[in-house]
Amino acid sequence: MVLASAAALPVLLGTASCRSQDVFTGPDPLAGPPRPAPDVITLQAVIAAEQGMIQLYRAALGGNRAAARARSLEPLLAEHEQHLARLRARLIVPPGASATPAAQASSQAQASSSSSPGASGSGGAGGSAGPVHGRVTVARLRAAERASAAGLVQRLGTAEPALAQLFASIAASDATHVTALGG
Amino acid sequence: MAKVAAAGAIPALQAALAAEDAAIFGYGVAGAHLSGSSQSAAAQDWTRHNEARDTLTAMISALGATPVAALASYRLPFAVDDAASAAALAAYLEDGVTRAYLGLVAVRDQRLRTFGALAMQVCAQRAAFWRGSTQAFPGLQS
Repeated sequence: MVLASAAALPVLLGTASCRSQDVFTGPDPLAGPPRPAPDVITLQAVIAAEQGMIQLYRAALGGNRAAARARSLEPLLAEHEQHLARLRARLIVPPGASATPAAQASSQAQASSSSSPGASGSGGAGGSAGPVHGRVTVARLRAAERASAAGLVQRLGTAEPALAQLFASIAASDATHVTALGG
Repeated sequence: MAKVAAAGAIPALQAALAAEDAAIFGYGVAGAHLSGSSQSAAAQDWTRHNEARDTLTAMISALGATPVAALASYRLPFAVDDAASAAALAAYLEDGVTRAYLGLVAVRDQRLRTFGALAMQVCAQRAAFWRGSTQAFPGLQS
């Protein structure tokens, strides 16, 4: 009689030329964690893009503390922070898992791109959550807002209805920021 | 399949049309209390709402439904008797149209979702103009 144990199992499977899925009827325990659902991947990317937008605004405010500019930019920054909070509230992260694994991969790709805004369709030109390179002018912010709005609209088609509505609302807010920034 | 998805959007399209009709009426009231560049802006926005109404009417008819008719008059949310209240009314109307187009974003047809989202942006921009400030979540209850 063979005792089934964790040590004996590989021997058993190897001897019988079995695959784990031949032995178990449920999810394959040797296959690794399941892939996140498409909406989760999308949400993670949008969260990363929003973080990038916030970084951009903070860089713009940090480099120039002129009161007039701060007065015009701070309300827009505050709205992006509200966007981020509501997006994060939609994402349930299992204990021990990274909040934005897919987005980190996306942001690494973004960080290597030029500082010119509008380059991505990920929902934000400043899609990277990494450091902001170059001077952040109002024109750059305006272009980033425009790109963010366009990117979010591109993501509507595959999102579930409530998430699509949130994306559309944030895109509309971004569009108003373009105008507020002189666009 | 696409036609079935679009047909399912008829209630949302009708709601957007109703909102546009209300905005057209309301801008008529607001414009009477505005002058100069504000009145010009109101006239432009009234024209844009008329164009949107025509577009929605054509879309609904193309789907085989009868577009909802505009009411003879609409009850205003507050008294409008000066430029400030007229601007407030314009912002209120744009918020309402933005909310209506948000309903279109929830439909299955992807083209209609995009149409609704882009319309939201235009309305939200006009609302921000009239209100003098932006919002974090146009169309959504805060």
